[in-house]
Amino acid sequence: MSEYIRRLNRREFVKLVGALGLSAAAGAWVWEEFWAHDNPIGEVTAHGEGGGPYWAMVIDLQTCIGCERCAFACQATNDTATGHLWNIVLRDEETFGKPVFLPRPCMHCEHAPCVEVCPVKATYHRPDGLVTMDYQRCIGCRYCMVACPYGVRVFNWEENNEENPMAPTWGTPEVRRRPRGVAEKCTFCSHRIDAGLERGLRPGYDRAATPACCVICPTEARVFGDLRDPNSPASRKMQGRQAVVLRPELGTKPRVYYLLPT
Amino acid sequence: MLNQLRQRINLFWAWIGLLVVVIVVGLYAAFLIFTKGLVVTNLTDGTPWGLWIILDLTCIGLSAGAFSLSALTYLLGQESYRPLARVAVFIGILGYSGALMALLLDIGRPDRFWHGWVFWNIHSMLWEVTMCITFYFLVLTLEVFPMVVELPFFDRLPWLRELGHRVHRFAPVLAIVGMGLSLLHQSSLGGTYGVVVGRAALFRPTMPLLFIVSAVAAGIAFSVHLTLIVEWLSGRLLVPDRVLFQAGQLAGAILLIYLYMRFWDTTAGNYGYVPGRTEAFTTLSAGTFALTFWTWEILLGGLLAAYLLIRARFRNSIMMLLIGSGLTASGLAFNRYHTTLLAFTEPLSRNPPLTDPLISSYTPAWTEWATAFMILAILALIFSLGMRYLPAFQGLQVDKPLEERLPRLVGAAR
Repeated sequence: MSEYIRRLNRREFVKLVGALGLSAAAGAWVWEEFWAHDNPIGEVTAHGEGGGPYWAMVIDLQTCIGCERCAFACQATNDTATGHLWNIVLRDEETFGKPVFLPRPCMHCEHAPCVEVCPVKATYHRPDGLVTMDYQRCIGCRYCMVACPYGVRVFNWEENNEENPMAPTWGTPEVRRRPRGVAEKCTFCSHRIDAGLERGLRPGYDRAATPACCVICPTEARVFGDLRDPNSPASRKMQGRQAVVLRPELGTKPRVYYLLPT
Repeated sequence: MLNQLRQRINLFWAWIGLLVVVIVVGLYAAFLIFTKGLVVTNLTDGTPWGLWIILDLTCIGLSAGAFSLSALTYLLGQESYRPLARVAVFIGILGYSGALMALLLDIGRPDRFWHGWVFWNIHSMLWEVTMCITFYFLVLTLEVFPMVVELPFFDRLPWLRELGHRVHRFAPVLAIVGMGLSLLHQSSLGGTYGVVVGRAALFRPTMPLLFIVSAVAAGIAFSVHLTLIVEWLSGRLLVPDRVLFQAGQLAGAILLIYLYMRFWDTTAGNYGYVPGRTEAFTTLSAGTFALTFWTWEILLGGLLAAYLLIRARFRNSIMMLLIGSGLTASGLAFNRYHTTLLAFTEPLSRNPPLTDPLISSYTPAWTEWATAFMILAILALIFSLGMRYLPAFQGLQVDKPLEERLPRLVGAAR
């Protein structure tokens, strides 16, 4: 073999490289065609275009009073560590010329950078399009935290043994705490959606099947629902209002819509 | 007086002893990290990557001499580079070991390090890097294996040595495979940052190219640098001067190409106002990083280094070569440092102010420093022992006294 390579002339070398390139291309094609289909990335259903519900959250900046109860309920329900919240409320003084509160959950992007960069597919699109995590698979490399354009991801820097300060006042923990060393983020309370659907409830309409942050909101500034259902709370809330998403120029297509203050 | 001291303490073993102390301290820090978790570091949700990632990128960048010089030797038939390529390959396997150690510390679940091999996300730059580094580490192992079995220790295992000879016959094949893998992952390490769409400071298609070109320049330079230092300390001639000067000039030329690319990346990339990127460039050139950016990355590690590397051959000055090659390597380290931390000094979005609560200033904790120095000490330990004992590095025929080339620093160590 080495003798063969030593005796290669330029013409044969070019041929060899060409052959290698062609076989690489063929291999890539075979991979894409036959193998990559169990890959959740890039599948039609992953983007919620398969005819199922298009889950979305609609947040009204006009009516949000910045009480942060959504953050409290989220911490109680999802049992997150203090200082590593899945849902935070930001204050924006500049954009509208008056203080506006901007609650920020995970955007559950259709083209989610975190899903694309995760080296082990620990973050993935569920068939209904929500972005969730497999905590058993995550290696804790934190590339998703670097990649997320909205800063929604938090990391388990240590074992969380603290008592949850928000429970039971603002809710009861409904999911298990994540182990040390993995990344995590808002799930749109997918456990409530799944359990609710199983019991025949309708997420967005029925409180038990709706994300905890939307249920607790005292001004109904924050609603959840299926945007393909014109009567869902989310669809009705959007009617006649100007809705925007955060950083639309990135092409991530978030599922969280903000209604501009009027 | 000094001579007496030199006789009493063997400087080589004093050096080894120092390294062992550093390693022991680092092992304690690593123990804390593995038992208590990454909470004992200064990494945060706002700055998830820090010193270890910088170390990892630097180690891999400086290891690029292995594939470049192997390609020169075995593919382009520049046989005179063979002794330098041998040193570079030895540096390479150490560099990649260091990178792997840094990553093992960095990931939150080191027990799941193998997940990348089993659960593939072919869309992830980091997965691509994982696979390439794995395979390239195997290639480097095969390249170093024939050198190691030449140790007198293996006299008792002649079949192993025979295997080494057989493996070495495949050196050209290994050079091709190694070059392919390196061309993939050296650049996709830059791509790891380059594809981050949400951070304008990083989201540049030039990142992969900048990473690999700077790595080739600094990798070759670093091999020259360490070769010179070993020659200086040991009094053995490892590589003919002519080859070192040539390699230095090559590294200098590639460094100039890199600086040219970097210039256009910076100027054209910051034309007008690009939200996030413009602010990041201000931070780099006139803010937090301005001092190290201008003095070290651009002037010392860039322009001056290139000048010294290219000029050394004409002036026949080993000292210029030594300084120029060292500056080039340090310039790469500063580049990786600036690139990594620049990602986190800028908020994700100013309007609306998305990440105000996440912005954090980052200084590595002592645990991070201790483990980083531990990794460097482990590499230095193996490198020192390898240079002292491996038959491949026992030196060439000396045709002039080495003391004439550089001021004599250590006499007792040879």
